[in-house]
Amino acid sequence: MYGWAGQRLRIDLTKGNIIKEPLSSEYRRKWIGGRGFNSDVIYNEVPPDMDPFDPRTRVCFGMGPISGTAAPSTGRVTVSCKSPLTGGFGDSSMGGHWGAEVKYAGYDQIIIQGRAKKPVYIWMDDDKVEIRDASHLWGKFPRDADTIIKQELKDEDIHIMSIGPAGENLVRFACTFNDIWRAAGRTGHGAVIGSKNLKGIATRGSGSVKIARPKEFFAVCNRLRQMFKNDPMKMGLYEYGSLCLINFANRDGWLPWKNLQYGGTPLANNMSGETHSKTVLKHREGCYACPICCGRFTHINEGKWAGEEFGGPEYEHAVPTGPRVGIIEDANDIWHNARLTNDLGMDGIETGAVISAAMEWYQRGLITAKDTGGLELEWGDEAVVDQLIQDIAYRRGFGNILADGGDRASDKLGLGDKGHYYTITTRGMSLPGDDPRGLGFGYGLSFAVGTRGGCDHLRSLCCLELSGALYPGLNTKILGDERPAKPTTTVGKPYMVYYEENQKTVTDCLNVCCFTTHWSYAVLTQDQLDYFNACTGMDMTLEEFLEVGERVYNLERAYWARLMSGAREDVVPERFTKEPMPQHVDYQTNVGATLPIDEMLPKYYKYRDYEPGTGFPSERTLKKLGLDYVADDIRPLRKRYMSESEQKKKKYYY
Amino acid sequence: MAVMTKQQAKHFAEMNDFFLDLLNLLKEKGIINNQEHRVMLLTGFEKLVLNLEKKKIISVKEAKDAIAKGFTSLVYALAK
Repeated sequence: MYGWAGQRLRIDLTKGNIIKEPLSSEYRRKWIGGRGFNSDVIYNEVPPDMDPFDPRTRVCFGMGPISGTAAPSTGRVTVSCKSPLTGGFGDSSMGGHWGAEVKYAGYDQIIIQGRAKKPVYIWMDDDKVEIRDASHLWGKFPRDADTIIKQELKDEDIHIMSIGPAGENLVRFACTFNDIWRAAGRTGHGAVIGSKNLKGIATRGSGSVKIARPKEFFAVCNRLRQMFKNDPMKMGLYEYGSLCLINFANRDGWLPWKNLQYGGTPLANNMSGETHSKTVLKHREGCYACPICCGRFTHINEGKWAGEEFGGPEYEHAVPTGPRVGIIEDANDIWHNARLTNDLGMDGIETGAVISAAMEWYQRGLITAKDTGGLELEWGDEAVVDQLIQDIAYRRGFGNILADGGDRASDKLGLGDKGHYYTITTRGMSLPGDDPRGLGFGYGLSFAVGTRGGCDHLRSLCCLELSGALYPGLNTKILGDERPAKPTTTVGKPYMVYYEENQKTVTDCLNVCCFTTHWSYAVLTQDQLDYFNACTGMDMTLEEFLEVGERVYNLERAYWARLMSGAREDVVPERFTKEPMPQHVDYQTNVGATLPIDEMLPKYYKYRDYEPGTGFPSERTLKKLGLDYVADDIRPLRKRYMSESEQKKKKYYY
Repeated sequence: MAVMTKQQAKHFAEMNDFFLDLLNLLKEKGIINNQEHRVMLLTGFEKLVLNLEKKKIISVKEAKDAIAKGFTSLVYALAK
């Protein structure tokens, strides 16, 4: 077998069973791997009405056929579950080296189900798999658990995936890490893993990946690595990390300031990649087989947080507990907050988003210090943010309310629709640190329709409007027009979103980093197909390859349909449609912009062949994609969705 | 080969999002079949241009211009 390992590992923590299941050639061709494998399992094995913390639920870790090979940036892992934050379909992706190690150990996917009686971790030593006691690890930060496990197993070279205290405490937006600092941030699977009393998975893999046509494969890989040498996005990401975007975001009005009331701040440069590299950058880091090396390692040299160090931060990690909560004057506060969310094991985006929502509720008098246990939620107050991050992770006081996410917190506090206005969510998940009134209208459209909730920079970001202008002619080649490269135009955006979603999905099935295929366009879809075919010997056509992405996307959309989530829920936060972007600096480019979502949504539905009334995938498309059973599942639901009683329900989460 | 009138070409050129509408027109006119419609929707503009060139609906030069200049160039080539 070429590319794939050809089997997955299913571990039942209730029964203690460890089963190896073969993956047929037909199955691998239909789903490829990664997000494809995972979405199929979640759709078929986790009923939409199941509580995400039910022991019977699944958490899946998906690798791909290219994982562990020399193709650029092939070390990612997709983690999928029924999200405790949204109640719907959830997945996230992490870099690092663990995915390649799992592949070398001989597995394309790991499925965890059941619940252990007490804390455990899994030790995978090639084909020997055992469940071990983790009582001594419970409560530890991922960095400390990593050290202890390596000492216990007497091997510094193993790779470990783990959760932090937030996951153990079932914070609904807890996340996982591998190699300590590489996070799969979104949708709260860390809490699902914690609910199973699973601390982590340690892996040693001594195998390899067989390549069908090695000469051809390495020729493609070498050509692509040469492309990266002068690639503009790669140079920026290598030099300054994703913080290279800070000053652009500020200029174009998409850097969230005070819960997206503004698109930036005059002091943004305090936290730019340029400033970070001069003041606190200790070294750069790269994931498995990555030619970009966007990773940072930060060491705070002075001030009250002097001596703290951690892997990161990314733009999306730093912005939410920085400018989004009004902190910008002392960048060391921002780095400290990022370090905290890492060590506690929480999605930095959701943590900052829920705190900033609470701050705006406080600003507008919807809550007072009586509701917050005496905390005065003033913008930019680092002491409050520092305390709240910890209180959320340990579910203390007001933090316990915020730990369930912004929309549930709003309901618990009895704030009604007014509270929800300031949570900046779609389907219960917060939109990240990029305001679509500046970053792009395509991005805004993808927020509304994304298949994991408020989809974001790595899932639905239309990079043809983010970095497309750096690649002259690329928008014309794919979309037929250069005009869509302009962020604040609706021209060409429905097709852009359709195309990018499919392409991003198949990239997630391969588990390749989208920094190499979207942010940077050094690798195009044809290139991915070339190395996929050379590696696996499958010889897919380009349309079959992209059809896998369309198939997975429609499967996920259908899961939401089973939750009665469709056209009425394809909305963006009202702030984007009702509030023209105010000015924050005199060189800002998007003053006055609002997001014209209603202009783009109907056309997007036509591209997706969604039914106009329900927004459900059409029977015709589902059958074309070989998803007849999915068509059968949602056929009886159309009438119910259109019923008067369903139309009256306002669903912020599920 | 004229697939549309100049008036239609002008209408397409002024649209905000045109790709699906053009593919639908080409299918309606029998220039592309269902399968080709699907393939080009998935794979993008360049594939459409190359398909039309292969079928001699547009010339080699018109195809080259379309790939360089985009959609507007293509629809006016289809209106000749």
